[in-house]
Amino acid sequence: MTRDQRARSIGVHLVLIAYSLLAVGPILLVVMNSFKVRSAIFGSPLTPPDASTFSLIGYEKVFRSSHILLYYSNSLIVTLVSMALVLLFGAMAAWALTEYRFRGSTALALFLSIGIMVPIRLGSVAILNMMRSAGLNDTLTALVLVYVAQGLPMSIFILSEFIQQIPKDLRDAARCDGVPETRIFFEVVAPLLRPAIATVAVFTIVPIWNDLWFPLILTSSDSTHTVTLGVQQFLGQYITDWNSVLAALSMAILPVVVIYVILSRQLIAGLTSGAVK
Amino acid sequence: MANLSIEHLNKRYGATTVLNDVNLSIEDGEFVVLVGPSGCGKSTLLRMIAGLDGASGGDIHIAGKLVNTLAPAERGIAMVFQSYALYPHMNVRKNMTFGLKFTGVPPTERERRVTEAARMLRLEELLERYPRDLSGGQRQRVAIGRAIVREPEVFLFDEPLSNLDAALRVSTRVEIANLHRLLKSTIVYVTHDQVEAMTLADRIVVMNKGCIEQVGKPLDLYYEPANLFVAGFIGSPAMNFFEAEVEGIEGGRARVTGAAFRTLDISAASLKVGDRLTVGVRPEHLVRGEAGAFTAEGIVELVERLGEASFAYLRRVDGKMFVAEVRGRQTPAPGETVTLVAASPDVHVFDASGLRVATETR
Amino acid sequence: MAEPVSHVTAQMPRAKLAGLLLFFLGPAVVIYTLFSIYPLVATMALSTYTSDTSGARSFVGLANFQTLLGDALWSKPFWNALGNNLIFFVVHMCVQNPVGIALAGLLSLPGVRLKGFYRTVMFLPTMLSVVIVGFSWNLILSPLWGVASGALKAVGLGSLFAPWLGLESSALVTLSLISVWQFVGIPMMLIYAALLNIPEELIDAARVDGLGQFRIFFHIKLPLVLPTISLVSVLTFVANFNAFDLIYSVKGALAGPNFATDILGTFFYRTFFGNQLQLGNPTMGAAVATVMFFIILLGLCLYLFLVQRRIRRYAF
Ligand SMILES: Nc1ncnc2c1ncn2[C@@H]1O[C@H](COP(=O)(O)OP(=O)(O)OP(=O)(O)O)[C@@H](O)[C@H]1O
Ligand SMILES: [Mg+2]
Repeated sequence: MTRDQRARSIGVHLVLIAYSLLAVGPILLVVMNSFKVRSAIFGSPLTPPDASTFSLIGYEKVFRSSHILLYYSNSLIVTLVSMALVLLFGAMAAWALTEYRFRGSTALALFLSIGIMVPIRLGSVAILNMMRSAGLNDTLTALVLVYVAQGLPMSIFILSEFIQQIPKDLRDAARCDGVPETRIFFEVVAPLLRPAIATVAVFTIVPIWNDLWFPLILTSSDSTHTVTLGVQQFLGQYITDWNSVLAALSMAILPVVVIYVILSRQLIAGLTSGAVK
Repeated sequence: MANLSIEHLNKRYGATTVLNDVNLSIEDGEFVVLVGPSGCGKSTLLRMIAGLDGASGGDIHIAGKLVNTLAPAERGIAMVFQSYALYPHMNVRKNMTFGLKFTGVPPTERERRVTEAARMLRLEELLERYPRDLSGGQRQRVAIGRAIVREPEVFLFDEPLSNLDAALRVSTRVEIANLHRLLKSTIVYVTHDQVEAMTLADRIVVMNKGCIEQVGKPLDLYYEPANLFVAGFIGSPAMNFFEAEVEGIEGGRARVTGAAFRTLDISAASLKVGDRLTVGVRPEHLVRGEAGAFTAEGIVELVERLGEASFAYLRRVDGKMFVAEVRGRQTPAPGETVTLVAASPDVHVFDASGLRVATETR
Repeated sequence: MAEPVSHVTAQMPRAKLAGLLLFFLGPAVVIYTLFSIYPLVATMALSTYTSDTSGARSFVGLANFQTLLGDALWSKPFWNALGNNLIFFVVHMCVQNPVGIALAGLLSLPGVRLKGFYRTVMFLPTMLSVVIVGFSWNLILSPLWGVASGALKAVGLGSLFAPWLGLESSALVTLSLISVWQFVGIPMMLIYAALLNIPEELIDAARVDGLGQFRIFFHIKLPLVLPTISLVSVLTFVANFNAFDLIYSVKGALAGPNFATDILGTFFYRTFFGNQLQLGNPTMGAAVATVMFFIILLGLCLYLFLVQRRIRRYAF
């Protein structure tokens, strides 16, 4: 490496490190201080907790005064069920749209793609009315239905691209083998769509987990709150109690970070796989 | 095992005609090879036999039964794809049995067929492996095995060897030939490769632009091509063509002249004075000499040495090029003027519309 | 969507094909139509009604829109929100995209180590909930905690600190920058993916031609990823004109101080659900949503007809 190249390489790394710090610094700061006593939070916010400043008091308060575990289970249920349905129905629809020739298929594809660009939020007024009249308001079912409707267009779009990459010969071979159409989808095509899950997850599942709007509109009782809404309301109530606030924020952050770090390779591969261009 | 007959088959995509009135009848147990330039419709024809592409017109019979409206699985065919099309998430055994599940073959019978096919194709060791862990040749054998276990009436192969390297191609070719001997099944086989076509086929079908140009035994196509297209397509390097004209007719023999060769005397009843012809001679039939039934001269521009033979590229008097095969170690030097002759059975004559003119043949 | 590929289906009996289509498309189409398209249409329909105190609805045509755009009581906050939303968008375009492009460019340089690590770290904020991000920044920028002012002091810029989120003059831009901080990962990743797609030989050819990395980036890579940049821009546009969570969680429904951070999303929410100052009004809320719909539609049309047509895509 010449001197020039080395200097440039160091420069590049400096910029990248600086930005990385900017990206994780605030998150680290919040998580770090959530484990400290109040005086240390204010006295030395930038130092990690040590034996004298370590404290879990914030977490105790959060557990005592909110149903954080319930919120977690609600979020998990809503997100997992929505994800399963978005993937299943999305893949089925994508398969039919790419594989079968029928009158109106282009129109139907266009119709389904409206939802990619037009946010479903704008229909909230009517959604609330519908859920009320169906007796579904303040249920997790209502959230799942809305999220599936919201996630489907993008997942159909992404999955179609993936299905097109599956060699045509493979489906033809299955047809020569006498495999029924539904089995071709479930036993030949669907198993090959596994890499697409990460891409779909980034674009449709993460927004579901993080959403504030629909829980705010569609759920009113504590028992149906999701983490995002639950924490948001908790923060509003305890705004002056810094220990609790930082602990609540950390509890919302940490699981996501852990899962993200475990899955980041697949998620980022999914994002950069070229299926979305 | 069954015969196969195709009548007036047509295929159009919008305004473009891909297959135009194809008629072909294949005997029980026959090995038929489809050849032709890229895009001539070979794959399309094969896929239509399989039922993967629909016909725009015409009929297909397999074993005497009209199959136009039958699904691929109901036609009694099995197809081997160029890309192998193995199910990537199933091991070799599963790949072979997967289709049988849906055609009502009982498990014990499935097992028997897989064992049998694995033995035949030397796949016993590989049954539990996944396609990604197989070499190209092994994948190809699995794909063939998957076809065998279906016990089809007709095997369809679409360029099955084109993804293999040269050595493997030769050995797999031999294997396919053995398989045909063993199974005695009807096979329709598409290839680009002339050697494959010549070595494997009972009969070759030469296609061009969606039409069948000629159907015949390999050597018949070589020695008696029906038209200019077949003459130019079969054989490598391609046949040399010389423009010619009938100058005179005497006693049932025609005197044919052209700019680039010495006047030629052929026996052909149907010719008239003034007819425009094309005279064709294969490079391997040209030898150095003084004068023969056919004689042409040229200046050597380039010599390609392949070992057992060399090819000399010569410039003719009319400025065009032609090729001659030279045997032995002594090759002509560039710049040398060479006289080449061919015996009369090796001279092919085609009329103005490109059809073969019957002359005396071997 | 691409051209259907199978001809087996063309030969399929009609009833069988219909059955298959129903099976495969039915669930998706039903849920999507019922919970996405129908509510949109119903909301637009509702925007032409008004309800009196008893709750009875009556058709009023475009009167709600006249009120929204003509009545000062409504039009002032509406235009304020629209203006703020534009600023919000402009900040994103001017900061998020250039930063995203720059980071992607740096990451795609040949021979940079630890790419995976940087990518993972820089994309992390994008995975978090807007609520959490907003609130965390709220704390960090708060003069009470003093982290931000302390950090500025440490580099000798202590005098620059101000309670940015609390000031009418700077609250909106600060919030926009927080949002940029969170979402810069998306343009970075998409553009990075596009940069990776450029064949190595093309870059090598340019280097053989004597171009430096800088020139290669501006003259070769950037033009080739322009389609991705324009896609990112339109995604940003839609997301921005639909944003709500950040403002709501940091500033509440009233989008203070003095509505300085009010954008269409929060305006819609207040109109629909009401707040301390006014009662909720579903029909006016529907009207606001309809206007937002048309704004987004207008943006998409401008993009499709003015931008996308002019952008050339290159095949490699
Ligand atoms: N779906 C389609 N729409 C329009 N034209 C098509 C379609 N499928 C194939 N064709 C055309 O049909 C012609 C024949 O194609 P086919 O695949 O049968 O050629 P081939 O002889 O197998 O060529 P190769 O040797 O390259 O495999 C080609 O010109 C091709 O462009
Ligand atoms: Mg082909």
